[in-house]
Amino acid sequence: MSPKHENAWGAPAPGEDEPLDAHDVAVLGRVGRAVEAVDPVPEGLVERSLFAMTLARLEAEVMELQQIEAPAGSVRGDAPPLEARTITFTHERLTVMIALSTDDDGTHVRLDGWVAPAATLTVELRQPGGERTTTADDDGRFAFTAVDRGPTSLLVHLPDGGDVTVATPVIEL
Amino acid sequence: MTRAAEEPLGGTPDADESLGDRAARAVLEFREGRTDALTDLVREATPLLWHTVRAQGVDRDVADDVVQSTWAALVRHADTIAEPKAVLKWLLVTARRAAWETVRKGRADLRRRTELPDDVTEGAAALPDAGPGPEAEVLTDERDRILWSSLRRLPARCQELLRLVSLADRPDYKAISASIGMPVGSIGATRGRCLAKLRAVLTEQGEASWT
Repeated sequence: MSPKHENAWGAPAPGEDEPLDAHDVAVLGRVGRAVEAVDPVPEGLVERSLFAMTLARLEAEVMELQQIEAPAGSVRGDAPPLEARTITFTHERLTVMIALSTDDDGTHVRLDGWVAPAATLTVELRQPGGERTTTADDDGRFAFTAVDRGPTSLLVHLPDGGDVTVATPVIEL
Repeated sequence: MTRAAEEPLGGTPDADESLGDRAARAVLEFREGRTDALTDLVREATPLLWHTVRAQGVDRDVADDVVQSTWAALVRHADTIAEPKAVLKWLLVTARRAAWETVRKGRADLRRRTELPDDVTEGAAALPDAGPGPEAEVLTDERDRILWSSLRRLPARCQELLRLVSLADRPDYKAISASIGMPVGSIGATRGRCLAKLRAVLTEQGEASWT
């Protein structure tokens, strides 16, 4: 048993009142490596979070991610193959559904969307590199073509007098 | 502790500054319009948030969303958090609650969709299965597989604690305390008990040597 203040992690942190022996340190080390292998933090999550924080400063109301439907075999949000992925976002006043497909030989993404209830709303596509704007048609349909891959959020301006904007969570295209 | 060269101007970080201290400083600086410390905090604390959310039984896609939303909520509330020292705890509690909420809703949706009778899953909102099972296929080393399956046989609380403690060489016990809602003073003893349980299971499996 090693002396109390000399375990492998240096001085005890608050709450670390029991010293660890070498065996415990070894087991914990392996647990840590296993956790990282089995359940890694998704690639790009930090960037998506930072982008979400930037969007949060716009004070838009955030929609809820309702459902992701992916073709069998591509389950993870952090896996780039998004062909034919469909995502639904909800808000108390609006639902947005988007379908993703590849564009330009797979280097870009095509995004087809529907807002419900259908209305000619202004839809913005935001990415760290910039923003684009389009308008949904009478059926609530809109589309963005040749979209860059990367963290992306849609902002929809609601049609009432007040300047209410709802934003989707950041998704990785 | 002579790392003066790395210290940003105006800041007073040092090697003993805890994650909680850095979170407090990040929010104070953010209020003054400086965002660098907050960006660093996002990089540093996202793994802790991720594993906290995942430990509540949330799947990866949704956990991704919960973590982002938690950070976004911090920006929205940055001006109203009265006690900067509590920022890290606020983040972790917010993430946990959002995770529970999605799990609860997911169950409700599932029940609605399958129209099964409401077979009491309440009460033990203490979520059943704290993590991935089949994904453990990525572990190629047989000993790691044994370790993982042994870990999963521990009580959920032990799994959660050991996962979080194992993430860093020098775990921030105050942060972990906030994350799992256990008093900081009892973490050392609980960790000891959990490790002892894990070792007992490993020994049962014939895995005696780890050093």
